Amino acid sequence: MIDALAAGPMEQFEIVPLVPLRIGAFDLSFTNSSLWMVIAVGAAAALLMAATGRRALIPGRLQSVAEIFYEFIADMVRGSIGQEGMKFFPYVFTLFIFILMANLLGLAPTIPFAPAATHPFTTTSHIIVTFSLAMLTIAIVLIYGFAKNGLGFFKLFIPSGVPAWLLPLISLIEFVSFLSRPISLGIRLFANMLAGHIILKVFAGFIISLIGAGGVFSLISIFPFLGAVAITLLEFLVAFLQAYVFAMLTCIYLNDAAHAGHH
Amino acid sequence: MLMARDAGKQESKSLEEFSKRLDAARVAQTEENPQTSRGAALGKGFRVASELLAAMIVGPGLGLGIDFFAGTSPWGLLAGIGLGFGAGILNVMRALRRQDPGAASESQDGDPNAGAPEGRP
Repeated sequence: MIDALAAGPMEQFEIVPLVPLRIGAFDLSFTNSSLWMVIAVGAAAALLMAATGRRALIPGRLQSVAEIFYEFIADMVRGSIGQEGMKFFPYVFTLFIFILMANLLGLAPTIPFAPAATHPFTTTSHIIVTFSLAMLTIAIVLIYGFAKNGLGFFKLFIPSGVPAWLLPLISLIEFVSFLSRPISLGIRLFANMLAGHIILKVFAGFIISLIGAGGVFSLISIFPFLGAVAITLLEFLVAFLQAYVFAMLTCIYLNDAAHAGHH
Repeated sequence: MLMARDAGKQESKSLEEFSKRLDAARVAQTEENPQTSRGAALGKGFRVASELLAAMIVGPGLGLGIDFFAGTSPWGLLAGIGLGFGAGILNVMRALRRQDPGAASESQDGDPNAGAPEGRP
């Protein structure tokens, strides 16, 4: 029990294998991270299926939520890529709803005395998950960009109106800038979730330490408690915001691929 | 919702007009959305920081890689740091310009030398 109380703020990010599985040199265990990804997908599917089940002309509350999500992403895709970009709508919407669900599920409270493997786990706080999503986006940008523009896709690295003697340098900088996209996309989501959850646990740790100190100190523990409440609210905002930013930047990069020649 | 129903009952023309107003409102909403709240400002700050950081990882990383394979020891890293910094500044400028709807076009870079006549059209 003492161990459970003394857990550090990093303990929440620990990967625990649930179903060990080893193929050759690869550890393919089903971990708590995998479990919460499956739960995120399940929750998204359940929400949307329940919301669209009735298909009422005048939407109820749940259906309104689904319609707001649809309109929000559809406007975003149309606004940044144009009408032809709607073929990417399923991808952007899937990305958005998955990241949103994973972020929100990570904020769910722990059931007291439940085994550590079943504690709510923020899959998006691990850089390998966010980086994989970012690489998927960049892979789609590359494949679609080359399929649509052929070698004209390289015009992305040649901005217009640059004097010829400056062009090699500018092209190199543009190239490095392009390579940094998946990294900035992955780091942003990961860093936001990681930092938020660490701060939350540090504040929670203050409460326990102060109550443990007894006397006047246990009265002071109300302040970190209020802080933890405020940060929880902020984390809800960040969960939405980061899902939005990830989807928005995906649209912007897809737009570059679709219109590489005109720029 | 109620307004939509009433409009639909009266005649299809007013419904059409309503949907036009609704579209306009929607456009206005999505346009000013990222600017308004303080949380969005926080997200913007994080965005700019990560844009710079990512380029500063990629540039020197690329330089180190070239050093490793070509054996040009300090020069690849030095060039990579310079390129990474340049790319980082470019990323930050793009990220900020994208959020400013008035200056959304990417055509003119704010480089005073860029207007030279021998440049590409």
